[in-house]
Amino acid sequence: MAFVTLQNVTYKYPLTEKPVLQNINLQIQEGEFVSVIGPNGAGKSTLCYALAGFVPHFFKGEISGEIEVDGKLSSKSTLDTWVLNVGLAFQNPFNQISGAKYTVFEEIAFGLENIGVPRDEMKKRVEDAMSLTGISELADRSPYSLSGGQQQRVALTSILVMRPRLLVLDEPTSQMDPIGTREVFGVVRKMAEEGMTVVMVEHKVEWIAEFADRVIALKEGQILMEGKPNEVLTSDLLTENGFGVSRYTSTAREAKKQGLWKKQNLPVTLDEAVEGFKK
Amino acid sequence: MHERLSFHIKRDSFLHSLNPLTKLVLTLALILIAFTFPYYWTPHILVLAAIIPLSLLGKVFREFSVTALRLIIPAAGFLFLMQAFFQPVGTDIIFKFYFLDMTMESVLFAFRNAMRVFVMVSAFTLFLVTTHPSELMSDLTRRGLPGQFAYVIISTLQILPQMQAKAQTIISAQRSRGLDTESSFLKRAGSLIPLIGPLVFGSLVEVEERAIAIEARGFTSKQVKTSLHEVPDTAFDQFLRWALLVFIIISIGLNLWLS
Ligand SMILES: Nc1ncnc2c1ncn2[C@@H]1O[C@H](COP(=O)(O)OP(=O)(O)O)[C@@H](O)[C@H]1O
Ligand SMILES: [Mg+2]
Repeated sequence: MAFVTLQNVTYKYPLTEKPVLQNINLQIQEGEFVSVIGPNGAGKSTLCYALAGFVPHFFKGEISGEIEVDGKLSSKSTLDTWVLNVGLAFQNPFNQISGAKYTVFEEIAFGLENIGVPRDEMKKRVEDAMSLTGISELADRSPYSLSGGQQQRVALTSILVMRPRLLVLDEPTSQMDPIGTREVFGVVRKMAEEGMTVVMVEHKVEWIAEFADRVIALKEGQILMEGKPNEVLTSDLLTENGFGVSRYTSTAREAKKQGLWKKQNLPVTLDEAVEGFKK
Repeated sequence: MHERLSFHIKRDSFLHSLNPLTKLVLTLALILIAFTFPYYWTPHILVLAAIIPLSLLGKVFREFSVTALRLIIPAAGFLFLMQAFFQPVGTDIIFKFYFLDMTMESVLFAFRNAMRVFVMVSAFTLFLVTTHPSELMSDLTRRGLPGQFAYVIISTLQILPQMQAKAQTIISAQRSRGLDTESSFLKRAGSLIPLIGPLVFGSLVEVEERAIAIEARGFTSKQVKTSLHEVPDTAFDQFLRWALLVFIIISIGLNLWLS
């Protein structure tokens, strides 16, 4: 059985006229790393909130269908228990700083304090999580003194340290440079290898192609397409619907028209492009 | 930028090592005694016998003196002048300044009140400087203060510098679009209106996101919370708190009895 199941989920915020999510059907296996792409306003963040329980428990509004994670139904749970299983980090790192802590170390420990983890274990877990995401040297800094990218790492670490079974990340690298982005993808991949299920909204398709198991393309609240990263990210359907594609994909697509790209499949990453042009 | 969001100064001192609640009780005791002990020189003696020694015990004498000279003494001095001139007590005038006059009684009265305020602000300053806000909150939550309460207090303490920083960012942004923030006051006041939108509306969205963020980190979890900081609470702390409580009661009791 799938670890995450969305069955016919349709959702409308209290203030929106038409549904923001429409008839979403989705199954995710345990340990799978799924990436969600889509234009602005497609409903990606709303999908994240739905997985993390904030839709509908926090935002209210009208929902139909069922959301199930780890055998539990969202509709039959309360938010305070749901969040123990599903971790959420979202885009704006500044607003994710608790505002009650003076150092990064304390900030990351905040969630563990809330769920009553004993002090010694807490320290150990915070240290481990910080070294995993490469922010050990920020431990004594004030969270407010950090750059956007560093704050995003702190936000990610603050959720990872709670060891959720399902990790939901909404554009977690939007303020990071390529090196930081790569590291985050690497960490997330590693967590997935260890059995954590991951849903990550991202725009950076080259990294998705390299790290994710599956891609879901969302448009106007509906799943336009889903499948293996390469199939989805190079499909004509995506281009026709105005999704951004990798420059290697568009280059090879042009090349194919001129007969310069011989392979059947188009590339997403630089490596694939180099490989393909060599043939 | 904004590394320091609290008044706390990290030192290794006797005062720092006291339990936060003990220091809170000490602060309140000093204030209550200064205001209620029915003996004229009480606040003056407290400054010499308690405030200054405490600042030494906390190894913050230098920082405390700077704050006292820059902030507390000017404020207390202003209070002194107001009361010395305007308190209508006594008849033998010792100083005249146009239509304003001071009497011996009004001077004595004002001097004591200024000293009381000095004791109050100084005691609070010493408390804030030697107590880490996180430790204070850990300790109070451990004793049963609701987590939400502690959160509101701490985040409010942090919010002012943040608001300041944000206002600064918005001002720079608006200025780069031609907003006038440098000419006459009225003109500037008018042109500040465009700042209100982003500052307030931004804050509302922020509040919602922050609520989500802390909820995602188990803030409303029904589990018993633990805390990262181990806050010491020795037998000496407990003794001191009881002793201070007795002082407070004696002071208030004497005050009621003599009046
Ligand atoms: N809190 C909210 N209340 C009402 N409408 C919202 C709210 N959040 C998002 N929306 C609307 O829902 C739609 C999808 O938004 P969102 O899920 O944030 O999209 P994305 O993350 O893909 O950009 C947008 O039309 C947006 O205006
Ligand atoms: Mg979004």
